[in-house]
Amino acid sequence: MKRKGIFGLLLAGALTVMSITALGGCSSKETLHIYSWADNFDEQVLKDFEAKYNVDVTYDNYANNEDLLAKIKAGGAGYDLIQPSDYMVSTMIKSQLLEPLDKKNIPNFVNVKKSLTNPAYDPGNKYSIVYMSGVTGIAYNKKYVKEKIDSWDALWNPAYKGKVLLLDDNREVIGMALKKQGHSLSSTNPTEIKSAVDDLKKLLPSVLAFDTDTIKQKMIQEEGWISTVWSGDAAFIFKDNPDIEYVVPKEGAMIFSDNYAIPKGAKNKALAEKFINYMLDPEVSAKNYESIGYSDPNEKAMPFHSKEYQDNHMINLSEDEMKRTEWIKDLGSTLQTYDRYWTELKSGRE
Amino acid sequence: MRKSKLMLAPVLLWLSIFLLIPMLIVVVISFTQRDTLGNVVFSFSLEGYKTFFDSLYLGIYWDTLVLSVLTTVICLLVSYPLAYYIANAPAKMQKWGLILITIPFWINFLIRTYAWVLLLRTQGVVNTILMHLGWIQDPIQMLYTKGAVLLGMVYNFIPFMVLPIYVALEQMDKRLLDAASDLGASRWKAFRYITLPQSKSGIMTGAVLVYVSTTGMFVVTDILGGAKSMMISNIIQSQYLGARNWPFGSALSVIFVITSLILIMLFNRAMQSKADRAKEGRA
Repeated sequence: MKRKGIFGLLLAGALTVMSITALGGCSSKETLHIYSWADNFDEQVLKDFEAKYNVDVTYDNYANNEDLLAKIKAGGAGYDLIQPSDYMVSTMIKSQLLEPLDKKNIPNFVNVKKSLTNPAYDPGNKYSIVYMSGVTGIAYNKKYVKEKIDSWDALWNPAYKGKVLLLDDNREVIGMALKKQGHSLSSTNPTEIKSAVDDLKKLLPSVLAFDTDTIKQKMIQEEGWISTVWSGDAAFIFKDNPDIEYVVPKEGAMIFSDNYAIPKGAKNKALAEKFINYMLDPEVSAKNYESIGYSDPNEKAMPFHSKEYQDNHMINLSEDEMKRTEWIKDLGSTLQTYDRYWTELKSGRE
Repeated sequence: MRKSKLMLAPVLLWLSIFLLIPMLIVVVISFTQRDTLGNVVFSFSLEGYKTFFDSLYLGIYWDTLVLSVLTTVICLLVSYPLAYYIANAPAKMQKWGLILITIPFWINFLIRTYAWVLLLRTQGVVNTILMHLGWIQDPIQMLYTKGAVLLGMVYNFIPFMVLPIYVALEQMDKRLLDAASDLGASRWKAFRYITLPQSKSGIMTGAVLVYVSTTGMFVVTDILGGAKSMMISNIIQSQYLGARNWPFGSALSVIFVITSLILIMLFNRAMQSKADRAKEGRA
């Protein structure tokens, strides 16, 4: 008797699965397959899109650009929309992995701030449109760091020994030291790189940890007093620990972005473009960025944002601060030099 | 005979598809080159292997060996008495002992490791208690040190050592100990000449399991070590991801597998006493 019950349940289950797949096959509902970072969209905004255009949206996550690259290289896995960071956009363009965007389908593109269009990694926005951007600056806790900070030099201050946190990324850290010495973030000059690394070796004894994913928690918990931090993360830390201050140092800093792009061979290219256009609608945009807490690249969206959002200087960096920023460039074979120095720094060996 | 071979076929197929072929791919990639975009170019090159013989990577390899051996030795020192105690406890206690050892296995490895962060950080449980007791004024920096890495490794791999040793001790013929004591051997002598040799197989299995798991670990150094120390597996991971140098990553993997196999063979040799080998020779 019992056995029959289980069998019946299995049969019912199989029938349900079959009928669902059959329905899916018959329905004309289009599906947009998004591959992006975790928690990168407001859920309601996605649901509204589904309802408005009578489509389905699936959303898979990756943890870093290299995972994304590997998957797209291996054949795209059926994704229609991806969100590579700036340098990865240029790598993917060079590897011919992206589909050119048809701007006719994205009239709302005009809403994007001019400073964030026509970037060096994709001249003329042929393949990508910015989704969110931020700047790597210094976050510090006013309880422990009493001085006013405006320079990367502050990290080297012996008073903060053992309390300095750095991002766990060779381009971020070596780039920061290059910038401190007045060079380009993407310098390929061996003497400049060497001198920056020597400078970093002096900083090492002060470093508590290298961390990217949980650097926020380390700052909130006050394990670290001062750190290199993305502006969006600074805003996140500030919410839980109001003693946090954020600054874009005077020597300049790295600007980065995540972008909309369509992988080569995407099945629903037109739908992906429709989605990009929808997301760039001022009202939708305000709703989305209000929820995820990043800076909104949409010029026309500001009036729809809350006062709290508008007044947050970690989210809305000033023009002056933006002028001091620089995009990173693909290093080509010099990446190996950075990587070797990075290994030296982290292992403490030579 | 034929039937038994047929029965093996699925396993062999499984192993060749999911173990042998991937390993062959790694070996092939290790002899290729990288273009400026990080794509693998299929032309023969020894660049990956040459890069390894840089004092930097050799040094990190040495650090990895030292940490792995240290972890194995500490695990053995902690686990042997524990396994001995459990194996000699009454049957009901044995069951509970084993359950307590295996329970942490049910919890995700990352969560177990993050739990140590909550305990050890400056505002963590240990520091808070010590400060409340008035034993220290300022919190001690325990996290993000080499010591924390070692602690994390030992903690995570203790069960790998306890279980094999327990099995060996459990299967031992206890009557031998009675005989030894009847013949006037001290308890130490009985342990040294009967228990220890009998549990050797367990020690060997446990040591290999702990050693191999430690060398392949890269999360503990990141979470508890603050990513300030590097093990060879951290390098392999970064070569496959951030540095996009698959040939070098593959070459490191190949070197790593081969040296580990050699070390394990040498270890097994050393553990087998001369007498054992002589016996095997006669048999």
